[in-house]
Amino acid sequence: MSLKSERRGIHVDQSELLCKKGCGYYGNSAWQGFCSKCWREEYQKARQRQIQEDWELAERLQREEEEAFASSQSSQGAQALTFSKFEGKKTNEKSRKVTTVKKFFSASSRGGPKKEIPEAKAAGPSINRQASLETDRASTEFIEFLKTFHRTGQEIYKQTKSFLEVMHHKRELSIEEQSEGVQDFYQNVAERLQTRGKVPPEKMEKVMDQIEKYVMTRLYKYVFCPETTDDEKKDLAVQKRIRALHWVTPQMLCVPVNEEIPEVSDMVVKAITDIIEMDSKRVPRDKLACITKCSKHIFNAIKITKNEPASADDFLPTLIYIVLKGNPPRLQSNIQYITRFCNPSRLMTGEDGYYFTNLCCAVAFIEKLDAQSLNLSQEDFDRYMSGQTSPKKQESEPWAPDACLGVKQMYKNLDLLSQLNERQERLMSQAKKLEKDLIDWTDGIAKEVQDIVEKYPLDLKPPSQPLAAIDSENVENDKLPPPLQPQVYAG
Amino acid sequence: MALVEGNTQPESASQQPYVFKVVLLGSSSVGKSSLAFRLIKNDFKDILPTLGCAFFTQMMELDGSALKLEIWDTAGQEKYHSVCHLYFRGANAAILVYDIADKDSFHRAQNWWKELENEFQPEEIVVILVGNKTDLEDSREVTLEEGKAFAESKKLLFVETSAKLNYQVTEAFIAVARELLRREEQNGGQSRQRSPPVDLKETARARKVKCCQD
Repeated sequence: MSLKSERRGIHVDQSELLCKKGCGYYGNSAWQGFCSKCWREEYQKARQRQIQEDWELAERLQREEEEAFASSQSSQGAQALTFSKFEGKKTNEKSRKVTTVKKFFSASSRGGPKKEIPEAKAAGPSINRQASLETDRASTEFIEFLKTFHRTGQEIYKQTKSFLEVMHHKRELSIEEQSEGVQDFYQNVAERLQTRGKVPPEKMEKVMDQIEKYVMTRLYKYVFCPETTDDEKKDLAVQKRIRALHWVTPQMLCVPVNEEIPEVSDMVVKAITDIIEMDSKRVPRDKLACITKCSKHIFNAIKITKNEPASADDFLPTLIYIVLKGNPPRLQSNIQYITRFCNPSRLMTGEDGYYFTNLCCAVAFIEKLDAQSLNLSQEDFDRYMSGQTSPKKQESEPWAPDACLGVKQMYKNLDLLSQLNERQERLMSQAKKLEKDLIDWTDGIAKEVQDIVEKYPLDLKPPSQPLAAIDSENVENDKLPPPLQPQVYAG
Repeated sequence: MALVEGNTQPESASQQPYVFKVVLLGSSSVGKSSLAFRLIKNDFKDILPTLGCAFFTQMMELDGSALKLEIWDTAGQEKYHSVCHLYFRGANAAILVYDIADKDSFHRAQNWWKELENEFQPEEIVVILVGNKTDLEDSREVTLEEGKAFAESKKLLFVETSAKLNYQVTEAFIAVARELLRREEQNGGQSRQRSPPVDLKETARARKVKCCQD
C-alpha cells in the first residue's frame, strides 16, 4: 500500500488516468492502468503466456535434472560438467527475466506477463534483479540438496515445481486459502516422503526445511503482507503504538536487566539488532532463527545481570522491553507470515516455537498495555501517552542509561546551562535588589536629612552687633573707661 | 521408567520418540522454574542449562516407550495473564503450580484451570496440580486436603512437591508422562503424531482462528 501512495506521487499526468490501451475509458492503478475490460483481456493473455513459460521451464529443468542424475552415476567429472552447464542455464534464465523486465519498462503497453508486473512496479529493475538472484540461489541450493536423494530428490523437485504452478494460479485467492494450500502441500509432501520416498525420519526435518526454503523464497513477494489483508494497517498501528510508548522504562516493566553493565547493554543491542533483522529474511524458518537468536541474547543479558539462569518470569518482560526499544519493522506482517507459511509443528513445539510464542505474547501485551500493567496511575499513564510529560524527568537519572555518550554529554551540558541560567538570574535579581537598596538608602538619607532640617529649621539670625563691631572703631567703647582727658591742675 | 540422558537418543526405541508439549503455569515465585530446574539438575548433575530454564526438553523412557517432554515455562505475573493463552496452543499437558504457603497462588492456579477449560476439551490435555514448597510446612496456608479436593473435583492429577528438597519433583513429571502415554495408547496414536503429519492440518486451521488475531 505504501507502493500505491508512491505511485500516486508519480502519477500526476492527466493522460495517465486513462486506460493504457487508449480505449478512452479511465484506467485504474489496481489494473496496471488499464480499464477493467482491457485489463481482463491483457491479464488473460499474460497468464496464458506465463503458464506456457512455466511449463516449458519445468520440463526443461526436469530434462536437465534427469541428465544430470544419469551422468552423475557415470562419472564425477561428467557431473561437474553438467552442473556447470546447469549453472550456465540458470544465468540464461536470469538474463531472460531481466530482459523481460526491461521490455516491460520500455514497451508502451503495460501488458507484460503478470508475474513481472508487481516486481517492476514495486521495486524497479535493480532490486528485482537482486530478488531473482536470491531466488536463483535458492533454486540452485535446493537442486543440489536434492541430488543427495537421487530418485526421491527428483520426485520432490517435480512435486514442488508443480505445486508452485498451482500456487501461481491461486494468487487471486485470499491469503488464508493460499496459506492452507501451502500447509496442505507440506503435509502431503511429508506423507509421501515417508511412505513412498522412504526418507528416514531423522532426515525428514532437513528435507522439509529445504522444501520450505525453496517454496517460500519464491512465494514471498506475493504472500508477505499481501494487499488483500489489513496486515499493513496492523503493522502501522503497532508501530505507532510502540512509538507512543517510547517513555516506558525498564523499571516500569520490571525488567531484570541492568544496562549499566557494558556486557549487558551489548547483549541488549544485539538482541534489538536480531529482532529488527527478522524483517529482512524471506523464509519463515530464517525469521524464526532471528527471533531465537534475539531470545538467546536476552537470556544472556538476564544471566549476566542476575547471575543466575533466567526464567520465563524474567524473559517475557525483557522481550517486551526489547520490542519496545527496537520497534521492529512490519511486526504484524512478519508474525502473520510466519504463522501462515511456516511448518506448524515448528510453531507449536520446539525451541523456535517457544520463542515465537513469546514474541506473539509480547506483541499482544504491548497492544493491550495499560496503566495497571506498568504500575502507574491512570492520570500519569494518560499524561505520558499524550506526551505532555515524560517520566524520565522525575528520576534521578534524567537520561536513558544506554544513551550514547554524545547525548549524555548534551544532557549534562544542558543541565549545566540551566544551572548557569539560574545563577545568572539570581545574580541579576540580587544586583537589582542592590540597586534598589542603594536608591532606597540615598532616599532614606535624604528623607532623614529633610526631616531633621524640618525639625530644626535653619535659623538665620542677623549677625550680632558686638561681633560686628569688633573691628569698628568703637568696640565696647562704652565699657571702656573714657579716655583720659588732660586735666589742668594749677589753675 | 528411568530418566534417560537427555542428549542421547534412546537406543531401545528405534522409532522417533513421542514429543509432548508441557506448559508450566502458576503465579510468579511459586517455584515453576525451580521445579523445572530441579528436574534437569537432577538428571544432569553437572551440566546446568547455560542460559535459562524457560524452555527445555527432557528425554524419558517409560515402560519401554521413548518420550520427549518439551517444557514451556510461562511468565506468571498477573499482568501477563491475558496473553498467556497463546502458550497453550498445541500443548499436551499443563502443570498448574501453586505455593502451599500462599493461598492466593492457589486461587490463581484455579484461574489457570478455568483458562485451560476454555481452550481445551477435557480429554485433550493432561493437567496436574502441583502444590510446591512443602518445606514451608510451618507457614502452610493451603492444606493437602484442599488441594486434593480441587484436583479431584476437576479430575486433575495431584501431587505436593518441594523443589528445594527435591521431594517428588521427578515423580510429578513422571506422573504426567505416564498419563500422556496412557492416553496416547488409548487413542491408538490416532490423535497425535510422532513427527509432523496426520494432525498438521487440524492444528494449522485451529491456529488460524486463534493465533495472534487478538
